Parts: sequence; C-alpha cells; structure tokens
Amino acid sequence: MTDQEQASKISEIIEAYPADQRFALAAMQDMQHAFNYIPEEGLSALAAYLGCAEAQLYSMATFYKALSLTPKGDHIVKICNGTACHLRGAMNLATELKRNLGIDPGETTEDGTFSVELVNCLGSCALAPVMLVDGTYHNKLRVDQIPGIIESYANGEVVSAHD
Amino acid sequence: MINGTEKILVCCGTGCIANGALGVADAIQAELDARGLSDDVEVSAQVVRTGCSGECEQGPIVRFMPRDLMYYRVKERDAAAIVDSLDGEPVQKLLFKKDGQTYEHMADNPYYALQHKVVLRDVGIIDPLSLDDYIARGGYKGLKKALAMTPDEIITEVEKSGLRGKGGAGFPTGRKWRTAAGYDVFPKYIVCNGDEGDPGAFMDGSTMEGSPHAVIEGMIIGALAIGAEEGVLYIRDEYALARDHIQHAIDDAYEAGILGDSIMGSGHKLDLSIVRGGGAFVCGESTALMASIEGRVGEPRAKYIRSVQRGLFDHPTVLNNVESLASIPTILREGGEAYARVGTENSKGTKVFAMVGKVKHTGLVEVPMGTTLRTLIYDIGGGIIDDRPFKAIQTGGPSGGCIPESLLDLPVDFDTLTEYGAMMGSGGMIVMDDRSCMVEVARYYVDFLCEESCGKCTPCREGLRQMRAILTDICEGRGKPGDIELLERIGRTMQDASLCALGRTAPNPVMTTIKFFRDEYEAHINEQTCPAGVCEKLTQFTINADACTGCGLCSRACPAGAISGDRKEAHVIDPHLCIACGSCREACRFDAVLTERRPA
Amino acid sequence: MSEMLTITIDGKECTCEKGEYIYDVARRNNIPIPVLCRSDAFADHRACCRICIVEVEERGRRKVVTSCVYPVSQECAVYTKSEKILEERAVIFALLAHRAPDAKRIAEMNASMGSDGFDRLVTIDNEKCILCGLCVQACDSLGTGAISTVLRGTEKKVDTPYDRPSEFCVGCLSCANVCPTGAIEYAQTDTTRTIWNREFDLVFCEKCGNLMGTPESIQHAVGAQGEAPRVCDECRKRELADEMMQTYRYV
Repeated sequence: MTDQEQASKISEIIEAYPADQRFALAAMQDMQHAFNYIPEEGLSALAAYLGCAEAQLYSMATFYKALSLTPKGDHIVKICNGTACHLRGAMNLATELKRNLGIDPGETTEDGTFSVELVNCLGSCALAPVMLVDGTYHNKLRVDQIPGIIESYANGEVVSAHD
Repeated sequence: MINGTEKILVCCGTGCIANGALGVADAIQAELDARGLSDDVEVSAQVVRTGCSGECEQGPIVRFMPRDLMYYRVKERDAAAIVDSLDGEPVQKLLFKKDGQTYEHMADNPYYALQHKVVLRDVGIIDPLSLDDYIARGGYKGLKKALAMTPDEIITEVEKSGLRGKGGAGFPTGRKWRTAAGYDVFPKYIVCNGDEGDPGAFMDGSTMEGSPHAVIEGMIIGALAIGAEEGVLYIRDEYALARDHIQHAIDDAYEAGILGDSIMGSGHKLDLSIVRGGGAFVCGESTALMASIEGRVGEPRAKYIRSVQRGLFDHPTVLNNVESLASIPTILREGGEAYARVGTENSKGTKVFAMVGKVKHTGLVEVPMGTTLRTLIYDIGGGIIDDRPFKAIQTGGPSGGCIPESLLDLPVDFDTLTEYGAMMGSGGMIVMDDRSCMVEVARYYVDFLCEESCGKCTPCREGLRQMRAILTDICEGRGKPGDIELLERIGRTMQDASLCALGRTAPNPVMTTIKFFRDEYEAHINEQTCPAGVCEKLTQFTINADACTGCGLCSRACPAGAISGDRKEAHVIDPHLCIACGSCREACRFDAVLTERRPA
Repeated sequence: MSEMLTITIDGKECTCEKGEYIYDVARRNNIPIPVLCRSDAFADHRACCRICIVEVEERGRRKVVTSCVYPVSQECAVYTKSEKILEERAVIFALLAHRAPDAKRIAEMNASMGSDGFDRLVTIDNEKCILCGLCVQACDSLGTGAISTVLRGTEKKVDTPYDRPSEFCVGCLSCANVCPTGAIEYAQTDTTRTIWNREFDLVFCEKCGNLMGTPESIQHAVGAQGEAPRVCDECRKRELADEMMQTYRYV
C-alpha cells in the first residue's frame, strides 16, 4: 500500500463517522482491521477530525487490547489462556511456540511471518487447550503438534486471510 | 414420509465449527439436494455454538426438529445415514449413550433433565437469524403486553419476578428501573453489558448468538419502563459471531417496525446500536464500560454517583447484563409471579452457568437458583474426568473464589456462597481436580488482573503487582514465612480501598484459596513442595515402571524429548531434559507418571 | 442556600453543606487527612491514590470511602484514624513507597506511618512516579494535551505519544510543578529548557529581564491568533499603573 493509498483509506474510515468523540474507538478498530495496526498518520488524522488531543487517542490505543500501534505478522497465532485452557496446559503451548519461533507472546518474528498472542478466553473452553491461527481453530492441542502446524504456515502450505 | 416441516439443526457455533460442523452442514445439504429433498427439509446451519445443547465437547451436534432427535459427534460421512433417518430409525451410533442406555431425545438426556430453561429457552431451537422463528416461539409477546401497560406496571411486574442482576452483583433489576424511571432528565439510556470477560465463561456470548431477539426485546421493554429512546449494546471484541447476530436481529427489528420511531405502532421510539468493545476486562465494570462507549479510556470513575442518576453522557442510564435482559421477555409474557416460583427465597428464577475444566460434560447449563454445586458437577456435569478426585470449583472468574469439596452441598444463589467467602459470580465455573495447584491458580488470576486492571488506583495496581511477585516466589520455591499473612493484608486493603469493583474483588481468588487450601500454600512455602505436581520448579516427574505399559503416548507428547524406552517396555524420564510441563502425565492412560518433590 | 448538616469527624461536630466532600469539611475543621492526587487547582478529583480513605458510619452501617470525593448526604460519623483506616492507609503507603522508591516525599510519609512487615515487597528501580495523574490533568486543563497515561494495569505510565518529543508540549512546566513527588524531570540552561525530551528556547522580559517562559507557552496563553507579550506580567502591571497615574495626574 502506498502512502497515498493509506492516506485515502484513513480518510475514508474516519469520515464514515460523525466528528464525535464517541466514535473514536470504532474508527480506530476500523483502522486496525484495515491495516493490521493503527498507523501514526491515522492517529493524528483522527485527532484532527475529532478535535481531540492525539495523546488521548494514543492513550486509548495502548489501553485497549484490540488495538495495536505496531504492524503484526502475516500469521497471527493466538493461544487461548482462558482458565479452562490454562488448566489444560496453555502455557506449555506458549513455551513450545517460543522454542519454535523464538518469540514470546506479544512479539512478532523478525521476518514478520508470525505474531504470537496470549489471549483471553475464546469461549471454546470445552475444546481446551485451543490455539487459533488466523481464525482457524486447533483444538485439544498437544505440544507435539505445534511444530507441524507452524511448519505448514511457514512454508506456505496453508495460506489464510486474516479474520 | 417426511412431513415437510422437519428441520435439521446443525450446531455451528465456535465450538462445533472447530469440530467441523460447517462441513457436516454442507454434506447434509448436498445429500438432501441429491435426493431432491431440499424443498421439504430445511437445513439450518446457523444455530449457535454451545447453545444447541451446551455440550460442545460432543459436537458437532445435529438435531431434528420438531422430532427432537439428537445426534452427537457427527462426521461428514454420516450425512447419508442422517438423511435416511428422517423418515426411519435413528442412527444408533450417533445417539447419546450413558451407563449402557441410549437416549434419542434431548429431554431424556440426564444432562438436560435437571435444567430449567428461561434465558436459553430458544437457544439452539430457533434459527437466531430468523425473526419469524423467534415470534413463532412466543417472541415479542412480552413486548406486546408491555406496550399495553404503564411504565409503573411494567416495573411492578419485574419487581414481582424478583429478578436480580445476573452479571454477578445481584442488584434487583426492578428497583434499578424504578430509580431510573424516577428521574425527569432526558435523554435516558438503556445499555446492555455484553462485555463478558471472565476467562472460562461464555454464557452471554452464547445467548447473544443463539437468541439475539430475546436480548433486544428485553432492552425495548426496559426502555419503555424507564423512558429511554436510545440504547447501546456493548459487546466484547472477541465475540464476532454474537455481534453479527445481534446486528442482524436489530436490522430485522427495524424492518418489522419493532424498533425505530414507533415501536409496533405504539408511538414509542427506540433506537439501538452496537458498540464493539476494545478488549479490556475492566470494561465489564459499569462506569468503565460507559467511558468506553463515550470514546475514552475505559477507566472507572471515582464519583459516588450512581449511573441510574448520571451514567452515559452524564444522563440517567440503566445498565443490565445480557442474561438479565434475556429473562425479561419471559417475565412479561408469563408474569413475574410465574418466574418467581422458581429459585430460592432471595434469588428467584434461573441462572446460566458455563461449566468447564476437568468435568466430563462441559458446556452451558441453566438451572433453578439454589441448585447445589454437587448437582451441577456430578448429576449434570457427569463428574470429574477419569473419575479423579474433585479438588475445587472456581466460580465467578477473577472476581470469584475457589470452593472446596466441603461446600458442594450449598445452594448456589446470590447470597449463600458469599456468606462462606466465595461467590456465585456471573456464571463461569471451572472444575479442578487433584492435579490443579491452588497457589498456581491464584497466581494465574492475579497475572490476568495485572494486565487487565486499568491501573488507575493504587491498591489494585500496586497490590496486584506485589501479590504477583509473592505468589511467583511461592510457586518457585522462594516463599517465606509470613507471605500468607502479607498477602491477606494486601488483599484486605484492596477489598476496602480500591476504586472499582474489579479492584475490590481482585484479591478474591487469593483470599479464598488461602482460606480453603492454606495447607497447599504452606507446603510450597515450608517444604518447597507442590502437592498437585504443577509448579515446575518444585516438581520432578518419574515413571512408575510397574504401571508403565510402554505404549509410548508419553514420549510422543513430551516436547523436550526427555522420555525414552522401547515399545512395551517401561519408559524413563531424563530429569536433565525434563521441563516439568506435565504433558506426559496428561497423556498417560495408566497413571504411571508420578510426581515428587524436586530436590533442591 | 443548600441544606446544612451536622456530622462528626473523629468525634468533633462539624457543620457542612449537603453534598460537600468529607475531605473539604475535615480540612476546614483542621482535621488532617493525607492526600496525594488531589489538587485545589481542579474541581474534579481523580481519587486514585486512595490514601485519603476514611470510615463513614451512616444509619448504623460502617464503610470505607474516599474522602476527597465522598459527598456528605446525611448525618454521619466519620473516622479518619480508626484502626482499620490506619492499617489500610499504611498498606497503601507501603505500596506507593515500593512502587516509587526514589520519591522522597512518599518515603517520608511512609516512614511517618511507622508500620513494618513490608520488607518483602518488590521495588521498581529509580521510580518516582506514583501515577496520581495530576500532570495529565494539568496538561488537559491547559488545553495542550501533550501527555496522557499510556498502557494499563501494572504497566501503566505517563508519557507523550510514541515516547517522542511532543509537538503539542509548550514547555510550561505545569506538569512538573503539580507533581507531588518531583517525578517529572526537566533541565534548564541560561537559554533553554528541556522537558519530555523536547528542547525549548527561553524568553526573557524586555523590561526587567526576568524569565517569561518558552515562546510556545507564551503564545499558547494568548491563543494562536493572539499577540505574544514582550514584557512580563509584573512589568505590564507596572506599566499599566504608571499609565493610570499619568492619566489621573492630568485630571
């Protein structure tokens, strides 16, 4: 996406809402969805549009977990750490991912291929432990299955669009 | 012959989809198409997840309506047999079986026999995307009645029902509405709290997915009662399906004249919209939720003013949770007194629970208030997986507590568990067996809250930081005498002095585990032992050669390659390679993996 | 005139208006309650430090409330030094003192509580900030909006967006001046001032040579379209007075 395309996309997103503070979160979520993060230009454009301080939006962008200020990887691996998954070894999955990808939850691999996130309950407690890769569920997952799953995404066997 | 009204419901919620339900739905549709039956039989692939039965573990679940035939663990290859059975014998291998008995109908299944469905009455039975389905089951009848009543009469009906806020706080809904109705400040707002954030709870999400119109009808009735013309549903970011279904239902309701400038032609106006949560547990707290709707950081406000007086945009606001609102249509339709006949003296009606963890049947259940935990876990939940010993049930998520065996016969309602230092909470229930470490569980919740606290006030933010440090030390063998007392001291201050309900309840997991499982804390601190064999720094895994069959399950499950052994020979764990993750113990079917205190 | 009520604070009878905050009533009656996040400069109080907690007994029910924002609504008895309050305030001070070990004022206040049993608590190296939020409140009230709280939970802090020099900061030092613990550091030379990683020039009064502030803060005070004054307030007042005197002399 060129800078110009990004700028016009940002305007399109922002101007879909009335210039009212109450739509700040919604506009930022739309940007998150469109760009996989909130670009700096988006934050300042929204502040100008709403007539609020950029710092206030920055505060929100760092407060809400659904928003991110840095680009995420091509594949987003979410490990559910809801209580049911936790009891059934969610942290072991995180450890195994670290062994495979070299990153902790919250980080993105240097080549930008994977981001790993430890997320709150996904509501699939009956299938614990659950790992979600780009919207695809991997249920009752065992640690030894992880290398194969990661491999299949890394070498392009599985290509999935972001949810 | 097929009577032309048979419906095949395929549970396609998150849980069942994960088990391949979409493929099953497609396969059944294809089978019907191939046989030219598509016009006679409707396949509904949009039925909610857990809602279909509450047994997501048994999914994908396929159900015939109105015949009430239920099939479990259905595979795509079963499609032909299923279609065959439309006018024939049920497919035996797909029926529910327990203790040698086979159950064809949902109502016979012991899992449901003890349940009483009010909130979930339509969940899994109607197509949530069909307004007609909802109306056919009596939907919007409650609203019709309400439209013929005065606000005062509506509120009186709700008061008679004894309905209390089911988000956990238990404030009487009728009283809340009456207070809000009493303020002559306009506009007023009605807000639905759909920000269910407890890890391990999915009652509200399933209700919104499975019966969105019930929530909307409840909101319309509430709006009429208090005089609101605008309503907002604040729905958790992670609940994409719930948002879709609610939005669909809102659109349909506008189309049908149920929402908008003149509700069912009454001249009353109500607009509803969805606000998508930002991903913050604290936004379940009422004032933080409202701050979030207003487009600000979700920090609770410090003022001692109730939201019914000055809430959203500083105007009178009623905030009800999903389950409370979804109970309203039934209360209006069947009368408050009928609702109040179920439940206990001070907790009327029913409660939905999401029961998960080490219990055989996991999923959603709705039972009369006052049902005991033992009934929930053993009669409905089928007991503990592998019949291991029960240790605790965690209720109420990060705001709740861990309840021991000795309290299992207490009735679950708003007040009883609280008297014993635990709480019912919003409805999340996590069952734990002897392989769950209570100190580690407490640390887990404190960890969760360290991230999810808004960080505004000192006791919550700093109290959690210190609790996490102390609990981590205890779990890793660095606990010191006096730690338990210090945790209690910090906890008591948090309970009294924190700014909002999140902070005031945040110490509960720690306080209840200390109260009921103090010996486990002491074992960690005084003997550097984790009795449950969970805390990895304190635990060493070995294999009992007498019990080991050499099946190799453990070595395949071991992520560290620490287990070796020939087939059909006893295996051995190399302690230098072992990372003490416990995967082998989970994998072993012969109880051959033992834990012992790790030598210092 | 609003309704008057009589309450007792630590046994002393105090008269107050209905709706007045307990802290304000106590202060008027010379009953000290410690506060950190409350400033007279603002009408709204964040009530987040929680050290001003007191016990209130209303209709026989006793509860812990935050005195800086708790409005008196009925006759009640307030206890600022009950055993419970002293204990819980001690815990809160200990928590703050371990969060911000380099904040002298907090260390002193904590020491004055004379409580022990907290050696076990962990500290944050070199930290002075107690997250009272007064700096953000000051910056917002001036309409600059250069800083805000960032992140949440135990990671929360105050910062400029992206931790970079803010184009909106005017270098007025309001944040640093309102900070109760001296946590917002700035450096000043003869001609420049650096705060929040941004360096500002300094402007001096053309008359007396006293420091007037940064060009940005002077411009901010008169609005974007306003003409920035070249002399300080003092000198302008003196000029005005001179003018007046001249005028009257002719009369």
